[in-house]
Amino acid sequence: MDVVSSSAPTLSLRGVRKVYPTSPAPVVAVDRIDLEVGAGEIVAVLGPNGAGKTTTLDMVLGLIAPTEGTVEVLGGTPESAARGGRVSAVLQSGGLLRDLTVGETVQAMAALHRAESRVESVMARAGVTELAKRKVRACSGGEQQRLRFALALLPDPQMLVLDEPTAGMDVGARRSFWETMHEETREGRTVLFATHYLEEAQSFAPRTVLIDRGRILADGPTAELRALVGDRSVVATVPGAEDGALDRLRAVPGVREVHREGDRVTVNGTSSDDVARLLLTQMGGHDLEIAAPTLESAFLTLTGEGEAR
Amino acid sequence: MNPTYLRIDLVRQLRDGMYISFVIGLPVVMYVLFGTAFGAGSEAVGRGDTRFYVMTAMAAYGASIGATAIAASAAMEMLQGWGRQLALTPLRPPGFVATKVVVALTVSAVGALAVTVVGAATGAHASPPWVWPVTFLVTWLGSSLFALYGLVIAQLFHSETAIGVASASLVVWAFFGNLFVPLSGTVQQIARWTPMYGYAGLARWPQMQGVSPTGDFTDPMWALVLNWVAWAVIFAGLAVWATRRGRARQ
Repeated sequence: MDVVSSSAPTLSLRGVRKVYPTSPAPVVAVDRIDLEVGAGEIVAVLGPNGAGKTTTLDMVLGLIAPTEGTVEVLGGTPESAARGGRVSAVLQSGGLLRDLTVGETVQAMAALHRAESRVESVMARAGVTELAKRKVRACSGGEQQRLRFALALLPDPQMLVLDEPTAGMDVGARRSFWETMHEETREGRTVLFATHYLEEAQSFAPRTVLIDRGRILADGPTAELRALVGDRSVVATVPGAEDGALDRLRAVPGVREVHREGDRVTVNGTSSDDVARLLLTQMGGHDLEIAAPTLESAFLTLTGEGEAR
Repeated sequence: MNPTYLRIDLVRQLRDGMYISFVIGLPVVMYVLFGTAFGAGSEAVGRGDTRFYVMTAMAAYGASIGATAIAASAAMEMLQGWGRQLALTPLRPPGFVATKVVVALTVSAVGALAVTVVGAATGAHASPPWVWPVTFLVTWLGSSLFALYGLVIAQLFHSETAIGVASASLVVWAFFGNLFVPLSGTVQQIARWTPMYGYAGLARWPQMQGVSPTGDFTDPMWALVLNWVAWAVIFAGLAVWATRRGRARQ
């Protein structure tokens, strides 16, 4: 088993395209994606809404077939891996019957997977044991997500696919969800998750795949990606700021863009410390704010580079 | 088909009061109105009386509503993304369809039985006695056709409108199926090709042997069986196709 899993990738997508034949023009949801994920890797698929994240994951799960290209999961087809329970998923949309109780839901799915013996342990691990008698419709978004997570653990999968697992959760629920996930990955499971929170990729995935408009923009260690999109934005009130002052800011190495609205000056670039020092000590700036890179700015940077090439 | 999954799905449906009141309440009330209150009653028709004739029609209607309504609830499951969840299990589309047919058959048995019990209590008459159980069995099992029908509508519409479309169209099929008023002439000629015609004719066979209540025409059994089988094949094929299609969406 070890020999097989170390030589063959857990997941391999080659030249995968997905085109939806909508009118008037067909929509290309995924446009030639190549991706390999090895056993035990934790990979974040990061991108804005409509980037093709869900479509990609659906193809990995065999829920939809690619228009072109091949998807291979654990050495076989996605369908057989998913049906056999070697790959399981926390799906983004619904996936629950609202008039069942939490306990009934787990039991029904356990019966289909022939995993009745795992019901108790899985419910405990996902933290839904106390909710067993509650109707699904009475559960909060976070509780429903824990239930979905319990269902995903039922078949004891080698790979977990999570499609925006913390969407709609408050901060506390989000943190406790990822804590539970950390526990599960100690067992050496491969995890592929989609998110549009840069922060989730940063704190949970050693590797991030950045996608937009169905294409991979970047694929590598999350730390490197972060450096790549290291733009920060510095905003300060500078009374009587005139064009000469803006030119001084533009001269600071690493500054990409400067603009002004009234007395409020905004500087975008990588050298936020130098810019802040200049603004505060020499230009009489006050009310200074420094904002971390947003996903939007990351994409602007990356797509801008992509066009320049 | 998985017995545990089936049991959980069945319990879920039976504790929902709305289906039960439509499946039991509506046909029973209609039987009381048309079969007893408005004077229809003890005239002899075939192996029974008019009351038994109306009772069979309403039992068939109740059983069909039960089957269709359960299938329509499958639409909600698909809408809620449950089909995607099931696609990640060993349960295949034919297994899903079979499970839903069994759940629908159980609920439709309740519907047909309710009208039959009320009929017996209000003096509906048929003899010899075997006409009762045979009529019930044909009414009950024959309604499985409409579980398939409800699944098709549910999977095609993929939203809450499916329930409305399925039950509204059932009234039309019931009309063409001769359940409400005896048909004749051109309407009857058209009706023979509609999905409830064969089912209704077979449910009445123990009493009527294919003779219309007005006595002006007779349907041979093979034609009624052929109607039922042909529609079952069409609905089953469409249901499996639409289930597969539903998984790819959303």
